[in-house]
Amino acid sequence: MIAVHNLVKQYGKFTAVDDVSLDVQPGEIHGFLGPNGAGKTTTLRMIAGLLKPTSGRVEVNGHDVTREPELAKGSLGFIPDRPFIYEKLTAAEFLRFHAGLYGLDGNGVMDRVHEMLDLFELRRWENELVESFSHGMKQRLVMCAAFLHRPRAVAVDEPMVGLDPRGARLIKDVFRRMSERGVAILMSTHTLEVAQEMCQRLSIILKGKIIAQGTVDEVRTLAGDPGDHLTSVFLRLTGGSALQELDEAV
Amino acid sequence: MKGPFTYLLLPHLWSSRNRAGRRERGDLTRACLFGGVGIGVFLALFSGAAWLTLQLQDYDELGDYLLRLGLSWIFMTFLAFLAFSGIVTALSTFFLSDDLRLLLTAPVAARRLFYARFARTVAQSSWMVVVFVTPILLGVGLASCAPASFYLTSLLTIVPFAIIPVAVGTACTLLLVNVFPARRARDLLMLMGFLFAGAIVILLRMIRPEQLVRAESLPDVTGFFSTLQSPVTPLLPSFWAGELLFASLKGGWDFLHAGALWTTALASCVGLRMADERWHFSGYSRSQEAPKARFTKFRTLDVIARALPLSPVRKQLLVKDLKVFLRDVSQWSQLLLLLALMLIYLYNFRVLDLGRIPYMSGFVKNVYAFVNLAMAGFVLSTVAVRFVFPMVSAEGPAFWLIRKSPITMHDFLWSKFWTGLVPILLLTETLTIAANELLDVDPFLKIVAAVAIVLLSLALVGLATGLGARYPRFTADNPSQVAGSYGGVAFMILAVLLIIVMIVLLGWPSTNYLYYQLRHRPIPAGRLAMMGFSFMAAVGLSVITWLHGMRSGVQALDAMSN
Repeated sequence: MIAVHNLVKQYGKFTAVDDVSLDVQPGEIHGFLGPNGAGKTTTLRMIAGLLKPTSGRVEVNGHDVTREPELAKGSLGFIPDRPFIYEKLTAAEFLRFHAGLYGLDGNGVMDRVHEMLDLFELRRWENELVESFSHGMKQRLVMCAAFLHRPRAVAVDEPMVGLDPRGARLIKDVFRRMSERGVAILMSTHTLEVAQEMCQRLSIILKGKIIAQGTVDEVRTLAGDPGDHLTSVFLRLTGGSALQELDEAV
Repeated sequence: MKGPFTYLLLPHLWSSRNRAGRRERGDLTRACLFGGVGIGVFLALFSGAAWLTLQLQDYDELGDYLLRLGLSWIFMTFLAFLAFSGIVTALSTFFLSDDLRLLLTAPVAARRLFYARFARTVAQSSWMVVVFVTPILLGVGLASCAPASFYLTSLLTIVPFAIIPVAVGTACTLLLVNVFPARRARDLLMLMGFLFAGAIVILLRMIRPEQLVRAESLPDVTGFFSTLQSPVTPLLPSFWAGELLFASLKGGWDFLHAGALWTTALASCVGLRMADERWHFSGYSRSQEAPKARFTKFRTLDVIARALPLSPVRKQLLVKDLKVFLRDVSQWSQLLLLLALMLIYLYNFRVLDLGRIPYMSGFVKNVYAFVNLAMAGFVLSTVAVRFVFPMVSAEGPAFWLIRKSPITMHDFLWSKFWTGLVPILLLTETLTIAANELLDVDPFLKIVAAVAIVLLSLALVGLATGLGARYPRFTADNPSQVAGSYGGVAFMILAVLLIIVMIVLLGWPSTNYLYYQLRHRPIPAGRLAMMGFSFMAAVGLSVITWLHGMRSGVQALDAMSN
């Protein structure tokens, strides 16, 4: 599970993340929504141990990310919005190295690598250099790496960007299967249909603060219309009146 | 992660192996060119060191003393270089490297990550020192008939000697990024580095080392040695390295200085690791902050651009190129070093004592005018390959913006050409005119050289722009990489050939003119026609190179768009 307690991140006088708390239980897919620049990526980077929080605490699978970084990171699969992959390695080499980082070794490693490559439909390209991959293929390779060590929790930033419908469907299926096996998934996304379809609970962040949290129905109710579509709810909560101004300008 | 820290170095080894397995166009040319230069430098250093050692052996104890001092001096020079290189490299390996985004999310112990990064920092900072010091030590060893243990000692000396200053440099970086954001620290270091290098070069030249070889200005022997010895302090690793190697050269073994080197190296590793475990994450976290933009209110540029008789598109392209250039310290700071080298170049002409060969001075001056022209041509091609050739590649992933805009590739490339031409022409024309004034060459040659520089600037900037468009590298990390690519090497080869042909085409009629003028004889009509033809050929060659280079570049960009 992922537990975030009163997380704050300041850059000088600017507060990017302001007292954010959230909790993702085992088997739950938690949608993390918010407009651009709201603080989603900063929060996820603190959960992954890439950024030092100004204050607050993050726990992954019961381990504090600051105090027990190795244990916490060992339980987490992180899929960033702009992942780094060694371009001059082949897909198999990249995954083998990644497995080693998480302490996987021995004969079973290549079986697991092949299993993941099969799952994400990349087996045909296992010996091709990553530099020749399309954006969608790279995205799927990063997901292979994130799930390789059987994490108990996953933090994923915009997983559907650049994926074709088949790829998006594949990712949704994988996430569902992982959550059925008890993996806690925190997913930042702009695709509200995906959030509505997949997430049991949502957190909406605006200007660094959580402004709504709960199940999809609870968030709808909070926005004032229980029967409304999630897009309208999101726009209402995050200041969607700008859309009307945009319409007028166009 | 369970394995040793070297596991973290595997992707770089695998990447190098995969890269070596793939052949790219121009690999052979590059390998021949750089390999040839490398072998040349290696042989020059080796034979220089061996020759000097043999000469010193004629002076018994004095020779030994000078050799011992010389070894300490060599290591002293490398010490400062390694420390500064360590600062700059550690910024990249510990804080700005992209793969940290992957490694820091993995359960890798801070200690393992530190050792892997430090090993990379030491290797990247010191490879050049190793390349330079190897032929020198080989030369000294072979000329002194040193025992085999000398070569083993050399290896055991260089390793801790490289670790100590790089550790100090890395510690400075750790401190810097915890005070400034890493990207701002990099800019500051870059600027300081070039200012430092420029100042050193100017300082060394201004003390006029050529006076040392003049018998009348030789200092007395005691003063000479005390000057030589002053920077060699027993507290520096360079002294320990020099002493250790000298003892080994004589067949002995200096345990004291070997111990000093190794214990200091190990202690600095441990100390640095402890500091890294304490402050690396906070520094890395700070390095994620976006740096504030410079020249955001640099309105002068917009005012100047508005005043220029250019179309709005070209104005915007010009303003964008200049702002991007000014905001990137790694770009413009290199100009400071170039400026320092230019000042020295002019200073050399100022102190050139041609009066010592009075009968030849008039002739030599005029020969120097062409040497000066060739030098200006080389400066021009170097600046062009470094700053003009990468201009199209510098658009990088943002090139789609140009391609989707209603701008023809012709307009785009010619905008790049003019942006590059104006500063380069000003630079080289100033250099040529000033040097010829200082030399006081014949007025006719002054005019020829001034016109030749205009022609060469048009030709070389056109060629660099065109080839830069023909062989772009939009994915390159920095312009230096683009300049070292196949297209960049091809440009340099063509540029040198063009300069040689231009010197011949302009030099032959000019010397003919001076010959007849000195003898107060009229130039025969046939000869005059030949001279005119030679001048015209130079003009024609420049114009063809310029326009053909540009046209080929535009065609390549058009083909890319289709």
